[in-house]
Amino acid sequence: MKVLIIEDEKTLAYEMEAFLKKSFYVCDLAHSFRSGVEQLELNQYDFVLIDLSLPDGDGLDVLKHAKKSNPGAAYIIITARTNLKDRVSGLDLGADDYLAKPFYLLELQSRMQAIARRKFNITEEAISIGEFQVDIQNRLVTCDGQSIEFSRKEFDLLSYLLLHKNRVLTRAQLSEHIWGTFVNDDYDSNYIDAHIKNIRKKLNACGSTEWLETVRGVGYRIRK
Amino acid sequence: MKLSTKLTLFITGSKLVIVLLFVAALPILVKEIASQYTNYTLKQQRSKVLSIVKKNGLDYYLQGEENYGSYTLLKEEFIAFLPVKTGFSLDTIKDAQRLIEGDTLSYRVLSHTFKNKQKTYLLEIGKTTASIHQYNKPLQRFALYVLITLIVMTVLIDLTFIRLILRPLGSIIKTRLVNRVFPFDVEQKRIQTNTTDFKYLDESLLLLMDQINEAFYKEREFTSNASHELMTPISILQNKLENFLAEEGLDANQSVAVVEMMKTVDRLKKITSSLLLISRIENEQYIRKEELRPMELFQEIVDEIRHRLEEKNISISLDISPDALLKDVNRNLLFQLFFNLIHNAIKFNRQDGRIFIKGGRSNDGKYYIHISDTGIGIPKEDLPFIFDRFMKTNLAAQVGYGLGLAIVKSIAIYHRIQITAESEPGKGTTFKLRFN
Repeated sequence: MKVLIIEDEKTLAYEMEAFLKKSFYVCDLAHSFRSGVEQLELNQYDFVLIDLSLPDGDGLDVLKHAKKSNPGAAYIIITARTNLKDRVSGLDLGADDYLAKPFYLLELQSRMQAIARRKFNITEEAISIGEFQVDIQNRLVTCDGQSIEFSRKEFDLLSYLLLHKNRVLTRAQLSEHIWGTFVNDDYDSNYIDAHIKNIRKKLNACGSTEWLETVRGVGYRIRK
Repeated sequence: MKLSTKLTLFITGSKLVIVLLFVAALPILVKEIASQYTNYTLKQQRSKVLSIVKKNGLDYYLQGEENYGSYTLLKEEFIAFLPVKTGFSLDTIKDAQRLIEGDTLSYRVLSHTFKNKQKTYLLEIGKTTASIHQYNKPLQRFALYVLITLIVMTVLIDLTFIRLILRPLGSIIKTRLVNRVFPFDVEQKRIQTNTTDFKYLDESLLLLMDQINEAFYKEREFTSNASHELMTPISILQNKLENFLAEEGLDANQSVAVVEMMKTVDRLKKITSSLLLISRIENEQYIRKEELRPMELFQEIVDEIRHRLEEKNISISLDISPDALLKDVNRNLLFQLFFNLIHNAIKFNRQDGRIFIKGGRSNDGKYYIHISDTGIGIPKEDLPFIFDRFMKTNLAAQVGYGLGLAIVKSIAIYHRIQITAESEPGKGTTFKLRFN
């Protein structure tokens, strides 16, 4: 999939590019309002990531342009302005999602995956892992045709790890995805571990969970 | 004391002093006027007599006699001619005693010598002193009455006028200073007055409000700028570390080091966003137009925080009417407020502790919510400072960044909620919220 990143902070743009490349996205970069609009005129993209505060124009105006030249693309607004007003006007203009800086690249990727599923009608088949089938869209985990009950948070945790398989996810990354960014100042506590313990317990009743690894001092990983 | 009262008192007082002085001086004045007037009358009478003498000769009076004397029926006035030695001269007006028909009476006597046919005569015209001062008393009384009436009238007029003149001051205070909320509405009409001082006051206040508004908007702009300026570098650090952690060939120690760095960046991020949240609340950048049922809110929070309750095996009891409804609030902010309080109630609680949440109406009809825990409590000396930024108490326990309660306080102020804390070390803490 083709992604245009319109972000005036070059280092940040490069980091986003580096991350997305690993997940097989093809990225173009634009560091100003003008070059962003130019790129949009020249190419067709699947995703456009727009930073709202550009040196030579308002990101919301880029969005207006883009909706004309790339009507089929999905738009994600990225901003440090977490003002309610900006958020509403961004979504009004047809942005598909909204991310406040600073965000985890993991979070960006999973938002993009969610949009892709919704917008481009990509239906993923249930992912099989070990003896289990995980249907992310329908939020179902089955084993030997039997479904296993998970709480909302537990399923969110499991599916997030699964979507970023073969990657170590830190507790902070998991916490921010599941509990959001509102100020909770002690993610160091072991509630993520408690949830993982519960997940393992429920899964172990049916099969092995060797694929769900604990990486000491770092976090968790699903290896597949 | 009110300015109008002060002015009235001052005006009345100064008038009273003048009146008292006048009243004190009145007898002397009246006496003086009467005596001056008598002197004048005596002189008039002298001129009249002398002109008659000149015209008709002295014999008109003397009728051949050596001297002449005449007095009124009650001896109040007399007139007399008598010859004196040649060369004797007198021209005075003074009080003297005269004997008339066996009565010795006090008179004001005009004595005047003049020549007639080579002989010198003395003319005396007299008026009893009693008759001179007979009008003194009634005159004084009359003057006093007139004065009192005048004073009362002028004081009443002054009072009305002072009220009228000071009215713009009242409206300046009412419209400009009382119960104002940020940002000020500067597009207001000028106060109607033709008093230059009040115009000046009004203009100065509007100017001041304008300046405050400007500072207010600048701060808001600063908040927004600061958020961008700080969040972008934090973003870069966070994303760089995130990419770094995903690199192949990182050994276990290096991974742990990267995670430690990420934690530090995360901490930086949370402190910055907490400060920004507080300043945004203080700048009133949130809308308070939602309604919410506290019961639903608490259930949502409990759901969200269940894992932490389970971690410490803490039981939570909700004693809130499901019908209770809070109006004109910001749902997200109140969620944050109660989340922080319950979060603290868990964090500082003991294993197998309890949390009580009670909502209801107090006697005066105000809605209240009390959140109590069975935790370690707050030392008495720390209690007044718990809502301060970066204030950390209970240092022995696991602490956060010291901003949780500062956020609670700013949200409470923004919603006009009175919040107080009571605590007993070792027993627990109760936060009491009163909605207005």
